[in-house]
Amino acid sequence: MNWNAWLPLLIVLSSLSVGLVIFFLPEERVATRTTLNLAAAVLKLVLVGVMIWGVVHGHHYVTRLPLLPGLDLVLRADAESVLFVTLSSGLWLVTTVYAIGYLEGSPHRSRFFGFFSLCVAATVGVALAGNLMTFLLFYELLTLATYPLIVHRGTDAAHQAGRAYLTYTIAGGALLLVGTVWLYGIAGSLDFSYRGFVAELADGHRAALIAIFALLIAGLAVKAALVPFHGWLPQAMVAPAPVSALLHAVAVVKAGAFGIMRVVSDVYGIEFAAGLGVTLPLATVAAVTIIYGSMRALFQDDLKRRLAFSTVSQVSYIVLGIALTSPIATIGGLVHLVHQGVMKITLFFCAGNLAETLGIHKVSEMNGVGRRMPWTMAAFTIGAFGMIGAPPLAGFISKWYLGLGALDAGQGWVLVILAGSSLLNAGYFLPVVYAAWFKLPADTWPAERSFGRRETAWALLAPPVVTALLTLALGLLASAPFSPLQWVRSITIREYTP
Amino acid sequence: MNDALSVFVLLSVPGLPLLLAFPALRSRLSRPCHIALLPAVVLLAVPDVVSIDVPWLLLGTGLSIDAASRWLLAMSVVLWAAAATLLQTPTGQPADNCLMACFLLTLAGNLGAILASELVGFFAFSTLMGYGFYGLLVAGGDESARQDGRVYLCFLILADLALFEALLIAAAATDDLGFEAVRHAVARSPSPGLYLSMVLVGYALKTGVWPLHFWLLLAFRSARPAVALLLGGVPIAIGLLGMARWVPVGEISFPDVGLIVQGLGLAAMLYAIVAGLKRAQLKLLPAYAAIIATGLFAIALGTGLADPVAWNRYDNLTQLFIVSLGFGLAGLTTAIRWLEARDHRSAALARQVYNSTPWFERWPGAVVHWAARIGFDTLPRLRTLWLAEMGRLRRARVWKRTLDGSERFLQRWTIAISLFALFGMVVAAFVGASSWIG
Repeated sequence: MNWNAWLPLLIVLSSLSVGLVIFFLPEERVATRTTLNLAAAVLKLVLVGVMIWGVVHGHHYVTRLPLLPGLDLVLRADAESVLFVTLSSGLWLVTTVYAIGYLEGSPHRSRFFGFFSLCVAATVGVALAGNLMTFLLFYELLTLATYPLIVHRGTDAAHQAGRAYLTYTIAGGALLLVGTVWLYGIAGSLDFSYRGFVAELADGHRAALIAIFALLIAGLAVKAALVPFHGWLPQAMVAPAPVSALLHAVAVVKAGAFGIMRVVSDVYGIEFAAGLGVTLPLATVAAVTIIYGSMRALFQDDLKRRLAFSTVSQVSYIVLGIALTSPIATIGGLVHLVHQGVMKITLFFCAGNLAETLGIHKVSEMNGVGRRMPWTMAAFTIGAFGMIGAPPLAGFISKWYLGLGALDAGQGWVLVILAGSSLLNAGYFLPVVYAAWFKLPADTWPAERSFGRRETAWALLAPPVVTALLTLALGLLASAPFSPLQWVRSITIREYTP
Repeated sequence: MNDALSVFVLLSVPGLPLLLAFPALRSRLSRPCHIALLPAVVLLAVPDVVSIDVPWLLLGTGLSIDAASRWLLAMSVVLWAAAATLLQTPTGQPADNCLMACFLLTLAGNLGAILASELVGFFAFSTLMGYGFYGLLVAGGDESARQDGRVYLCFLILADLALFEALLIAAAATDDLGFEAVRHAVARSPSPGLYLSMVLVGYALKTGVWPLHFWLLLAFRSARPAVALLLGGVPIAIGLLGMARWVPVGEISFPDVGLIVQGLGLAAMLYAIVAGLKRAQLKLLPAYAAIIATGLFAIALGTGLADPVAWNRYDNLTQLFIVSLGFGLAGLTTAIRWLEARDHRSAALARQVYNSTPWFERWPGAVVHWAARIGFDTLPRLRTLWLAEMGRLRRARVWKRTLDGSERFLQRWTIAISLFALFGMVVAAFVGASSWIG
């Protein structure tokens, strides 16, 4: 194997191997564990940087290992996988720094960081998967690696959330497996290809292809938290904040949304899927999820639960963009994969800071907290406005392309959905911002910890500030070269150009 | 001015206040709000028409200043400098930090909107200005100020939604989002009605045009002097500027819509005259003056929609009107606040004069009273009823219960699907494997 064949595998192994080593580290080896964690995250980012450079310059990176007779484990770098792998690697580094600060002094840190690394390895595997079987393999590994993180605290609520997570995701995995096996039976291949590989099977298999599409999407919809398969996500918010950040922004829901994108564009092909009549129902489900998730968020007093329902709503923008089968909407959907990740991780970091520093878990406890934690709440404000879609933040760019794409696809009703969703987003985010900045603070906070003159620990403060600045930069510099928007444009041009 | 210098100065005008909004960057400056205005002052000192394209910013934007927008910029600089001077001396307390940040964000948005040469930039800057101005209204205020601020915020959100939809419709009609190009494209599009109505409603909400003026009265009532000074020159002026730049007036003939807009403008003026006289609250006079002025603008806009030739003849007066309005309202507000501060008796005296009017001259009072009841009693009463109803709904938690119920139902359903899926998996795996092997 040459370097081009090794690189995708090395990117997966950079966190997988470190994760396995960390499991065996004694609890008290804090410095070693921290060094390993950070070194692996930086190494992965460097390797991803090399891969981006190579892909831009026309290099092909493919790892092919025999798995089953006729089926290989394929890791491949293409424009879509590079987009997702960059997002997950970049945010993993930030989340690792945050997790180190968050878990300082807590028990079972080796176990936590071990599974944390496995989780990211699985996510990178999902991103780089070159065929549906490899995707399925890493998708299931992701389920198994995430479960211990959700139940990490060991409380009853955590175990209950873990059980719900397993029930949902194993069932989703089963549906995905059924769809994959059935598709392999018909097509004899599962390799992703530009504009899909099932179009030539349309004659005689139309009904089967529709059924397979339904199975695959239902399987992926669990992790993507599409209604009615979203029930696990709000329950899983009992996990520690870095895990929530991982679930909502880096790994799990993104793996689901990314999988839907792969099935629509690289298995079925966008145009063939539209011709099959399966994209409009998918767009409808996404639209329902957008509104339903926002309505549920409106009634939540628990901050993390409110953010969780917000994720239910926001991730469906990605699905909606893909399902509208317009190049412009596809740009909106794909770029939201990155934008939602950066904005949502900011919000979860801030929620974690409030909980760790002041013991605040509820919106009703947040009066005047902006005066006590101005940096954290400034980051939260930027993330919240980004989610609403206010310019010039990242969310505005996503909504802009989704709206234009809806008009381009002749689906004007989507504009009503976007407007309604923005209104609901404002309805559940602005009261938080208002309470934090403009209401008078309470005399005491629920459980305040002192960090001297700083509002909280550096390791907790730096990550949300960095990701908030990124939220601003992704919007302000959207048209700059090498921005996610430009990258996504190039993906979409390739996807739609015959 | 050479290209690099143009880019630097034009970007600095909104950029410097934006940067200074971060407390860490202004903590060592004694007068950050005044310093934030310096690039604008430099730009005003340059007599040329300056224009830049910034393709990497947002969706590719542009900033420019010409003779007309120079007057607007000058007005803004004067008003913001006056407001910065009036603003309480910072004490270093966090509340002041919040006020200062809102002040600088609003300033950045205001100056950026004046310089923006295309729709997205204008929308982005005016949105920043709107949310910043909300902060200015409520920062450090009491419960009443916060309530009034909430009304402004609601109007602002609805306005931005309407304008965002209009923006999408415009972008679907043309790739070039410069003001001229959009007006041409919309005028030639087969159905400009939706765009036009979204823009008119959006900016009417932002400007406080009657009958969407409620936030304006509340804002004038509760704003601190420095903020009240800015009301005419910031949200109202930018709203009117937006209308003039976004509406394809002068390009399109829409007699019916023009007539409706004219009618609304006339009604606004009558309403403000009648209600303003009746209310006799000195503090609110600038609000009624603003309603009269925006009504006048609506009449002009309606005339332009009905007769494009007439609009084109007087188009260059638009920005002059906005500048006059900004200065006029600021002057009126300052004079009234000064009068109030100097002598509270003046208001009482005015009421005595009004009450001594002979009976045969009082008949307009009946009309005024009747109009005021419609304007001030009926609508707030409806609003109060609506709020009470919403409160009752909230207490009852009907929605919450319904949604919780549906959530539980969905969860049960998902588990049922899971069991079914496991069964399906076995069957399909068998079928798939058979067809594969066979």
